[in-house]
Amino acid sequence: MNKYVTTPEQTVVRGVTVNAIPGQRPVLIDGCDTIPALFRDRARTYGPATAHREKKLGIWRSRSWNDYWNHAKWIGLALHHLGLKRGEVVSILSEDRKEWLYCDMGIQGIGGVSSGIYTTDSASQLEYILKDSDSRFLFVENEEQLDKLLEIPDGAPGVSKVIYFEREGLHELNDPRFIFIDDLYEIGRAQEAETPDLFDRAIDETRPGDLALLIYTSGTTGMPKGAMLSHENILAACESGLRALPSDSDTEQLCFLPLCHILERDASIYFPLTVRATVNFAESPETVFDNLREVSPHVFTAVPRVWEKIYSRVTILAQDATAIGRLAFRLSLRCGMKRAEAQLAGKPVPALLAAEYWVWDILVLRNLRRLLGLDRLRQGTSGAAPISPALLKWYHAIGVQLLEGYGMTENAGLASVNRLDANRQGSVGQAVPGVEIRIAEDGEVQTYGLNNFMGYWRNEEKTAETYTEDGWLRTGDVGELDDQGFLRITGRLKDIIITAGGKNITPAEIESRLKFSHFISDAVIIGDRRKFLTALIMIDQENVEKFAQDRKVPFSDFASLCRAPEVVEMIRAEVEQVNREFARVEQIKDFRLIDVLLTAEDEELTATMKLRRSFVEKKHKALIDDMYA
Amino acid sequence: MAEAPLLQIRNLETYYGPIMAIRGVSLEVHTGRVVSVLGANGAGKTTLLKTISGIMDPEKGQILFEGREIQGREPHHIVRAGIVHVPEGREVFPLLTVEENLALGAYTRNDRAAIAHDRDLVFSYFPILAERRRQEAGTLSGGQQQMLAIGRGLMLRPRIMLLDEPSLGLSPLLVQEIFTILRRLNRDVGVTMMLVEQNAKAALDLADDGYVMELGRIVMSGTASRLKESEDIKNFYLGAHQASERGERRWKKKKTWR
Repeated sequence: MNKYVTTPEQTVVRGVTVNAIPGQRPVLIDGCDTIPALFRDRARTYGPATAHREKKLGIWRSRSWNDYWNHAKWIGLALHHLGLKRGEVVSILSEDRKEWLYCDMGIQGIGGVSSGIYTTDSASQLEYILKDSDSRFLFVENEEQLDKLLEIPDGAPGVSKVIYFEREGLHELNDPRFIFIDDLYEIGRAQEAETPDLFDRAIDETRPGDLALLIYTSGTTGMPKGAMLSHENILAACESGLRALPSDSDTEQLCFLPLCHILERDASIYFPLTVRATVNFAESPETVFDNLREVSPHVFTAVPRVWEKIYSRVTILAQDATAIGRLAFRLSLRCGMKRAEAQLAGKPVPALLAAEYWVWDILVLRNLRRLLGLDRLRQGTSGAAPISPALLKWYHAIGVQLLEGYGMTENAGLASVNRLDANRQGSVGQAVPGVEIRIAEDGEVQTYGLNNFMGYWRNEEKTAETYTEDGWLRTGDVGELDDQGFLRITGRLKDIIITAGGKNITPAEIESRLKFSHFISDAVIIGDRRKFLTALIMIDQENVEKFAQDRKVPFSDFASLCRAPEVVEMIRAEVEQVNREFARVEQIKDFRLIDVLLTAEDEELTATMKLRRSFVEKKHKALIDDMYA
Repeated sequence: MAEAPLLQIRNLETYYGPIMAIRGVSLEVHTGRVVSVLGANGAGKTTLLKTISGIMDPEKGQILFEGREIQGREPHHIVRAGIVHVPEGREVFPLLTVEENLALGAYTRNDRAAIAHDRDLVFSYFPILAERRRQEAGTLSGGQQQMLAIGRGLMLRPRIMLLDEPSLGLSPLLVQEIFTILRRLNRDVGVTMMLVEQNAKAALDLADDGYVMELGRIVMSGTASRLKESEDIKNFYLGAHQASERGERRWKKKKTWR
């Protein structure tokens, strides 16, 4: 740990010592000023206690802080042995698993920079990121990901060694460039025997302002940019998170979104490190709902799409229940909705209604929450995209506190969040302690705090564009602050459409209204330099299939579902519903459904399943031209 | 195709107790066409055929045969309507002779001359059955039993034949032989067929149209030639080898059904 001339006044928040006044230098968490220093502190203090759990052969197995520390240390020492220098980048290409965390901590501990790559990225995207970041080493999960590297024409020669986590199918691999993770641990152990204090020394040499992470953001235009985050940036976000989110050392959580994304990275690596929470890894993206039920987490952070899926599941379950079950569910939901309305409006709940809710809660809602794995939940958080207010209310009605937050990679993932005691629906909450938010003259949301990133990797021009002259971060989002500092996001600055008639329109506002329909999973509004607005719509497969099935609309595959006149009419009604809320120039005159089922591997979708405007406009040009023909 | 389909299935749902085996299937078979339904084990293919032929009752949805609803009706009504089901695993009567088995196929008919003519037709397509006409069906080989099962189905002069895995347990050569005969039956006699198959290559070579079923749902449909060109069909059903730099590869790309 570094010696500072003065240590700011300290205070204890839920068992963790932090600066009494948030947002000040040096950012200290239990006296630590870098991520690896905090990691070391946790490992020393909680050694044999459980840090994570991973399901193997059907059984959840615990891994201790000692396991976490030792493996991270061996990785760090082995990378040092193999020639990694301070400040060099190491990339990780894997689904969420404990080794992801071991690597992240090992790389940072030895003074390297950790960079995650999406497993859904193509070989050419992998090539771009490896070369742009000058990655010296690459960790890959398995055969499938390794083959992506081998597809790169020149093999990305800058990467000196590739370490793989799973040996299946790779036993025959005989190339000194590829190392199995167990062999890497061996190298680390040998290095440790030689220089027992090297890893500790490396941690001590790291400064708060040093580069810790490189996070490639899925740019909607052009190639992805590497956002540079320092140790201080992350610790500042942890400090804010500690004060604004309800986690503590007893908290169980579930890790399932990509760790390359700042939301899951914060929620499943750095925040748990701060509060000493236990992280459980979902087996695979397909088993999330089963894993959720098994773990029954205390806090659950997810993107709106996941919350929508849970809702759809409940609706489908309820329809397949017995007549009595359906009736009980309907009545309890109606009572819950009334209560939610009163509470969300800030009014007291009438005693009779409260009593009625209590009964329904015992009879129905508590069981429902148990069935979903949300029975122990203190707070659910939604971020990374706008969520429908109706959905928030529905969760409130069944007794799940679901709150919306806001942040981006460039401010280490956390700028504002609604809190149990300060919640305003439709807003993304008040600024978290340590962060300030202001609205610029053009309506842009700008943030200030120690969490604001160092800039884009080797791209000073873009970095300069991202900061104002007085050092505030330009988020690129348009929004409003109300009298009590609750932030409402209305759109993206760059996406503003100027119609042929010269009107400025923020498409995000219309798009998120469309997305609030359970039948529409995402939409892109078209209309720049055109006479009128149109939309390309991606339907929610599950809900629309159910709609078609219930109304006896025949369909075979996804394309025929999108073609069915009844489905098109239903979506038209949804669009018209949205049109009613907007002015005349903002009306959607026509729309088309995207009739291919997109997956995260498609470039039109981000890893969090959002449509990418530029790619959608390019790939589905025929549909667009058809609407303006 | 402007004319109404011979067989139209709309939003069919069928359960085994609490288990939903068919989760909303819609498909069409037009007169004179051969339609293949592909799918792995447990996709719901057999259940689909059983629901059409009335052995199982659907929970929801309609089956329209020549424009009339037939779902949930008794199997013997459906047979009389002209739908013949050639079940999986042949299911010939082992202790009856070949001739007796064929005679049972014509059980619903009483025009003796025409029956005799049809039996000769079956024998002309399957000469081996003529040779063994007095042999007990249980003593026939698997391929011969399959031929007998198809022949028995033909004895009804069906409007449509539902074939459940005619290639099951047969050598590649026999599969080829039987599928060639099926093709001829379709061309020469104009028998409309709907067959479910795991042997995707044989089924797509024979069929005009195809559907792919997974977990009780249709995930892809189109003409057989289009399906044969699909990357997913090639990789998952036709066993195309995806090459890799290492020369070996265990994993497969995710299916997208495009």
